[in-house]
Amino acid sequence: MTQGDRTPDRESHVLRVEGLAKTYRADASEVAAVRGVDLNVRHGEFVALTGPSGAGKSTLLHLIGGLERPDRGRIWLDGRRVDGLSEARWAMIRRRSMGIVFQYFNLVSTLTVADNIELPGLLAGRAPREVRAAREELLAELRLEGKADNTPGDLSGGEQQRVALARALVNQPTLLLADEPTGSLDSKATREVMRLLTRCHRRGQTILLVTHDARVASSADRVISVFDGEIADDVTPDGSECGPSSAADIVRLRG
Amino acid sequence: MRATARWAFADLRTHRGQALSIVLATAGITAALLLSAALLVYAANPWQRLFTTTQGAHVWLRTTAAADIGALRKLDGVSALSGPYRTEKVTLRHGADKAAADIRATGPTPPQIGRPRLAAGHWRVGPGEIVLEKSMATALWAQPGDTLSIGAGGAEQRVRVVGVAQTAETRYAPDSGPGISWASPSVVRSSAGASLPTGQTVGLRLSDPADTAFMVQRAVTAVGSDQVVSVATWQEARADAEGDNHLLGLLLLLFGVGALLAAAIAVTGGVSSRVLAYGRDISVLKAVGFTPGQIVQMFLIQHAALATAGVVLGAAATETLATRSPGQLSAAMTLWQGLPEHTWALPGTAVTTVLAIAAATVLAAWRAGRVPAIPAARIAAPGRRRMSGAARAVLRWRVPPALVLGCRGFLHRPWRSAAAVVRLALPLMMIAVALGAWATLDRIQHHPAQVGLAGQLTVRPSGLPDDQIRELLSRQPGIAAVEPGIELAALAPGQTETVTLRGLGTAARPYPFAVAEGRAPSGPAEAVAGQGLLDALHVTVGSWVRVTVGGTPHVLHIVGRSIEMEHGGRVLSTSYDTLRVQDASVRPSYYAPVLRPGARSDAVRQALTHASHGALEVRDSAAPAEQFTPMRGVIAGLVAVLALITLAELSTEIAAGIRNHAADFRAYRSIGLSPRQSVATMVTSIGILASAAAVTGAALGAWASRWLIDLQARHSGVGSGLAVPPSWAALTLLVGTCLAAAVAACVLPVRRAIQEQSMRALRTVQ
Repeated sequence: MTQGDRTPDRESHVLRVEGLAKTYRADASEVAAVRGVDLNVRHGEFVALTGPSGAGKSTLLHLIGGLERPDRGRIWLDGRRVDGLSEARWAMIRRRSMGIVFQYFNLVSTLTVADNIELPGLLAGRAPREVRAAREELLAELRLEGKADNTPGDLSGGEQQRVALARALVNQPTLLLADEPTGSLDSKATREVMRLLTRCHRRGQTILLVTHDARVASSADRVISVFDGEIADDVTPDGSECGPSSAADIVRLRG
Repeated sequence: MRATARWAFADLRTHRGQALSIVLATAGITAALLLSAALLVYAANPWQRLFTTTQGAHVWLRTTAAADIGALRKLDGVSALSGPYRTEKVTLRHGADKAAADIRATGPTPPQIGRPRLAAGHWRVGPGEIVLEKSMATALWAQPGDTLSIGAGGAEQRVRVVGVAQTAETRYAPDSGPGISWASPSVVRSSAGASLPTGQTVGLRLSDPADTAFMVQRAVTAVGSDQVVSVATWQEARADAEGDNHLLGLLLLLFGVGALLAAAIAVTGGVSSRVLAYGRDISVLKAVGFTPGQIVQMFLIQHAALATAGVVLGAAATETLATRSPGQLSAAMTLWQGLPEHTWALPGTAVTTVLAIAAATVLAAWRAGRVPAIPAARIAAPGRRRMSGAARAVLRWRVPPALVLGCRGFLHRPWRSAAAVVRLALPLMMIAVALGAWATLDRIQHHPAQVGLAGQLTVRPSGLPDDQIRELLSRQPGIAAVEPGIELAALAPGQTETVTLRGLGTAARPYPFAVAEGRAPSGPAEAVAGQGLLDALHVTVGSWVRVTVGGTPHVLHIVGRSIEMEHGGRVLSTSYDTLRVQDASVRPSYYAPVLRPGARSDAVRQALTHASHGALEVRDSAAPAEQFTPMRGVIAGLVAVLALITLAELSTEIAAGIRNHAADFRAYRSIGLSPRQSVATMVTSIGILASAAAVTGAALGAWASRWLIDLQARHSGVGSGLAVPPSWAALTLLVGTCLAAAVAACVLPVRRAIQEQSMRALRTVQ
């Protein structure tokens, strides 16, 4: 790895983003979804990205997860520059260092609950026995012990989202990305999922959560408001705004 | 790898039907390809082996006894001669069975060139002994130890059969030229009758078989065309040995390759549709860490594995079951299994089939690899076209909304619908081609008069005078009319091959030739010719041709082209009277009784044999359709394979339709359509698709079957006009079955999809 690929002075950051931008083009019209976002996330931090629909928060999450390619900007994960990697390299990063939870659960419909959870572990090259043990532990923690052999179609929305969370956590990822994880759930299932995320965070899991629900966002250490593809605000729940020096490191509004 | 395998197995478990249809279709295609290879090898190989092992002669000349054969030795391009053998034309009789034969004088050891291969008995022919060619022995029901009588010019002598041998020359058939037998010079000499010309036979082995036509011309010139009685080439002998198996093999190969193509397209469509249907799952797999390469690999390996399973199943079933099936299939497979080529042909066919299926998967698998990793982005983006004015108007007229919405579902994406119609129409077209082949076999078997086989029986005089034979025939109540006939081996212009000159029917009662082009002969010197003759002589309808029979010229005006099932179509047919006018010495060599409707040929045959006290040789006319009997079983099998491919394609389209209309079902419910109406909407869409494909496939297939069979018939000398398209009833049944199958296959999955959607909606809000 070259010197340019590393940011030695910021090793404590799990994620560092500079000048990230993404524009969608369709039918001769252009929509700038993300406009030059700078963002730093530290180890063990629970960050919520909020904002109205169409603000660009989900696109920002997809860019960070390598699900989409940015038009410009740079991304470092654990100090390693990743924005120029190929799709296959990104896939390897996702299987080893990232867990992703989506709004619509997105479990593989043909696999059982057990297989859905074990799949990323097997992909990462872990021993099947070890992966099975991790899956059993996670299912017990998420109170889904009896559901291992069910298919996703047999489960309620809340249960599916818990399985999706187990799948995201099975490889103990460096960074957990959650895109509106409670967006399709009722209030009871929402509380359950948030309780689980909070518990993960307490164990030291770094989480980047996208939500438009203020109550969900309030569980985070830090709430970043996104508006029109730009970061409009960055505060901690106690009301303190990040200082200018740290703001330069953590959040910067460009424009 | 473990993760890939786990997904692949789970996918197969979930889609057992699709997997099974790919396995069965591949098995069927493999079986069709292997059977066609076996039949093609069976058709060509035994003759080739016989020719090679017996040092066969490429050209056989039958000349007069006075011809100077020595000139042939000096010809460039002739590497060796077989003979000359003194030859007499005789009639061999064994009990009630009789056959015309050339009896060749031979020495105590078989010749080196054109050496007959003994099948039974021994070769050492002493006085009063004879060796028969195998097809002759079969026709006479004779074997070593039997005693035959040789008749020539009224005199008879008795000889004992000491051997049966095979030779790579044209086999004996009652309607074609004489058979072959070998005897000591003393037997041949004593067989020579005063009224029959004594001749000699010589075989030419050429250094370049490709030059046969040119060498024949040179040989005939060298000997003197007036001295040559007949010429036979190795191509004729091979065509005769291959018979209709070659056509059978080619047709099967056509079906096999067609089915492979249809299956490949069905697999491409099926996998593409699965990629679209499970695009969300693929996105999720990528989101959790599958690389694009792994996705492509996964689809490729999965389908190659299914194809391999199908190939193994098909090959195993063919290898074990085909040898136990009745008829030619069993013989062909047994022979093929014993050949060294079988060792590589079997794996070769298997690998080709697997590669074809894998290649068909590549494009779809590549598309799967390109599916974006964001699951939400794959949620269907249905067409935004608004409902047409016509559709809204029709709805206002209280036409059932399910019908209108179903039609719109089919039409609102015209290119996609057209592609689906083409994919589905292809196997249906192949089925229609198969039905056309079936209809053509029906025509040959049940309406032989339409293909130039008006007489069902052939009666050969054996010494009885004409008027007595006519009287015997006219007394039979089952016989409506009697056509006198004669077939002569004639030399044609260019003198490269012998053609058959046939006189059949009289001026007063013309024979009903099956004329495909031009008209039937009605005046003097008019004739019709088979396609084989037109090709051989490079003439067309309207030409005058001159052929010679034993030095007597016959000049005829070809006024039409007849469908000619015999002698490779190299037949010039005119009325018996015309031949009599040009050569007064001609006598009928056989009679073709035309049976009354309802009369059974075997009953008439027995009655005639009984009435003539065995003096008449009565045989069933060659029934070419019987040679095609195994084809019927194979056609039925192929139709089953193609039906399976059609069903697989249909299920793909239904799955794609359900996926594309998932959002519509919710909308239908919200605007007040009952679940039954929602199902009816989808059924209408699929029904229109199936009907369009069935009508397209049936129409194209009906045309293609006629074209393909006629093309094949034209090349084999029979001539175009043999094929008939499938009947309207068969085509209607095809379209109806396709529509019914589509509707039946659609209702359940659509109903289940609508129910599942309702359940999912309930569960999501729990």
